Amino acid sequence: METIDKKLIDAHCQGSPTAFEQIVRRYGANILGYLKRMCGSRELAEDFFQETFKRVHEKAHTFRGENFKSWLYTIATRVAINGLRQHKRLKFISLNQKAEYPNIDCEEPNTAAIIDNSNNPSDRAVVDEQKEHVRQAVKSLPDRQRATLILAYYEQLTYPQVAQVMGCSVGTVKTQMYRALKTLAQKLGEFDREAK
Amino acid sequence: MKRHIKEKELIKYQFNLVSETRAEEISEHLKSCAACTKLAEQLKQKFSTLDLLREDISVPDELIKETLKQAESPAKTRIIPFRMPALISAVAAALFIGLALLISDSSVNKKQRPEIAKKPTASDYENRFVENEKITRNNVEYDSKESAARKLVYSRSGQKLAASDKIRKGVIPEKPPFAPASAIELVTLPRRENVQITIYNSADLTLVRERRNLTLKKGWNWLQFMWANTLIDPTSLVLEPLEQADKIDIKQLVFPARLKDIGRWLIRSETIGQVPFEITYFTSGLDWRAFYMGTLTEDERRMRLEGYVRVGNHSGEDYENAQTRLIVGEVHLLDKIAELARRQYPYNRPGWLLSDEKSESVVGDKLLEDESQELNGVLFDMELGMLKPKEIKKEGLSEYFLYTIEGRETIPQSWGKRLISFAADDIEVDSLYKYDEEHWGPRTIRFIAFANDKKHKLGDTPIPNGDVKIYGRAGEQDYLSYVGGTNVKYIPVDEEVELNLGTAREVIVEPVLMNFETDNFTFDSNNVITGWDEVRTWKINVTNTRQLPVDVEVTRGFETSYWTLDMDGQDVSYEKHDATHARFKTKLEPRSKRSFGYTVRTYHGKRQETGKI
Repeated sequence: METIDKKLIDAHCQGSPTAFEQIVRRYGANILGYLKRMCGSRELAEDFFQETFKRVHEKAHTFRGENFKSWLYTIATRVAINGLRQHKRLKFISLNQKAEYPNIDCEEPNTAAIIDNSNNPSDRAVVDEQKEHVRQAVKSLPDRQRATLILAYYEQLTYPQVAQVMGCSVGTVKTQMYRALKTLAQKLGEFDREAK
Repeated sequence: MKRHIKEKELIKYQFNLVSETRAEEISEHLKSCAACTKLAEQLKQKFSTLDLLREDISVPDELIKETLKQAESPAKTRIIPFRMPALISAVAAALFIGLALLISDSSVNKKQRPEIAKKPTASDYENRFVENEKITRNNVEYDSKESAARKLVYSRSGQKLAASDKIRKGVIPEKPPFAPASAIELVTLPRRENVQITIYNSADLTLVRERRNLTLKKGWNWLQFMWANTLIDPTSLVLEPLEQADKIDIKQLVFPARLKDIGRWLIRSETIGQVPFEITYFTSGLDWRAFYMGTLTEDERRMRLEGYVRVGNHSGEDYENAQTRLIVGEVHLLDKIAELARRQYPYNRPGWLLSDEKSESVVGDKLLEDESQELNGVLFDMELGMLKPKEIKKEGLSEYFLYTIEGRETIPQSWGKRLISFAADDIEVDSLYKYDEEHWGPRTIRFIAFANDKKHKLGDTPIPNGDVKIYGRAGEQDYLSYVGGTNVKYIPVDEEVELNLGTAREVIVEPVLMNFETDNFTFDSNNVITGWDEVRTWKINVTNTRQLPVDVEVTRGFETSYWTLDMDGQDVSYEKHDATHARFKTKLEPRSKRSFGYTVRTYHGKRQETGKI
């Protein structure tokens, strides 16, 4: 697997016109999903997605390691964290934003409803609400904790791989992960109590 | 464990954040503690809501297109604004102080100032450039406006642009540019136009000759060659122009520091445009082996022999449409190319470094992973190529023998390819059964014998060593049955060859000792025995249960070179095979038995001198 990545990167560095497109197609879905969870907004995730691959395109010749996936996630994480910081400073108002979710600069709530198999409108509403609550809980985490949680839980990277992406030790990753989980346990618990 | 487990630890346990020992302890505890199990379940349920955010995400084509477009657009210039007024104040103060010092310094007598080594500034470059321009002005006419513009550029980037300026005017600077550390201003190798590989099997050595068309600019060119994940010996790299050799000078090959598996050639070119080059290097990982299939006729007197060559590629590189040549013979090599290829920068002798098992696995096993994903197209080409058998042209080459496979072959990494080497019909063969206890124990061994000569419709070339499988035709429908297999050594022209097909079960040889006696004792003056004869009478029973007549050869050893032998009948003869062995040859009709006997007298002690030998 890694060899294919290396070959693609080498081919790209040697001027292959199709190699970079193959890289984008190979990892596009993973990176877009990761960025979407990181920033909670499809629109923003797509911007970061483009920025991530632009950096990969520019910096491909500097890739020396064995694990391309980790390298790619490292870039995506930096783009997302820096981008979100900047985004916090400059508040954008999306023209696509739904009027009924004024506080959420993010998601299309109806997408979730379509994915959900439940036909009962009331059940669907409950699931939507629950999902929104989880999204908000994840979004409320500090950047590094959120990145650690998403990489380890949703992207299913091992803790050493997450450490490689985050540029820290495995111990630090585990600490960040535990702190994220502790916060989530608290926030999800609050929601359960409110629901009851 | 009596105490309950805290929620904190249960969270860590569920997400593999505790040590293995602690995880086992918690697991044991949960088996016996209902309260903790309940708490763990609650936590599990709570965290299961995280899965609500899991969804299948696909990247729309528009986004990919936009991303590719964005990525290929030139990088924007980043403007970094000053955000700290304090910093601006500090810089302003420093500038003011600097200016004040400069004014006071200029008033001091220059002769009294100490000489200070300083880095040339942009204005120094500018002055130097003006001086150079004065010198070249006599020879080269140039536009004054252009000169002014150049001066401005030069003041920013120093000597480099002046060099390119000269090249533009047709003068190539004598001093080559420094090897670039980055990939900027490099020509990377374009695709191969043509490739020839010559595989020296005995030494795991392959000579690769590639032809590539390089586009050169006038002046100095850096050409980059990469060999990551291959077994190429970097020090064997040779680059030669195939045209305009008088205008192109290959100056050197450098291996830049800190860059693995990269070599850069410095080329001085007096021509512009595309020039064909030949790149030659040694690699390992390519091999070939010969193997043969023989099909015996029903009477086992004739055989069709087909020779094949299988070329394998584990070199880490795909060779498309390569002319493939195979060398038979031993090549003397000081170092193994595979070891040379694994050296680290700066590519000294392999003994200087530890063996790198990791790199070996990269080149060997790891590359196997991607074969199915990447090479489907090539496989298709291969299958088409296999439809028409290729001819292998053979010719002598010094101490070696060179086989050239007709046409061109694509040999992708991790793939092998089988090609027909030769096919000969109706080769006369001798089917022979041999019995020699000293070699094979009490078993009869089956042999097929023929010669690599014109009489046997062979003899054009030596036959390389390889595995042989012999099949027999049987029944009215000519069904094939496997008779036996062996490995043949290199067979030169006009040499005989015997193929050992293994133990024969249908032809049995049983020697039986019928009589043993000692005779003719000699004594010394003290009546001590000084010599004697041993007389043994043997009966050899040979049984042929096959439906074909067979030739049987029985070899008997006597452990001494002092022996005489008498046959008990006249129908079987023997010949002295060597000093200590006699060989008997006989023929047996289908499904028949035959016995012959002999008496051998061996001489011992003083009798060796006086007995009849």
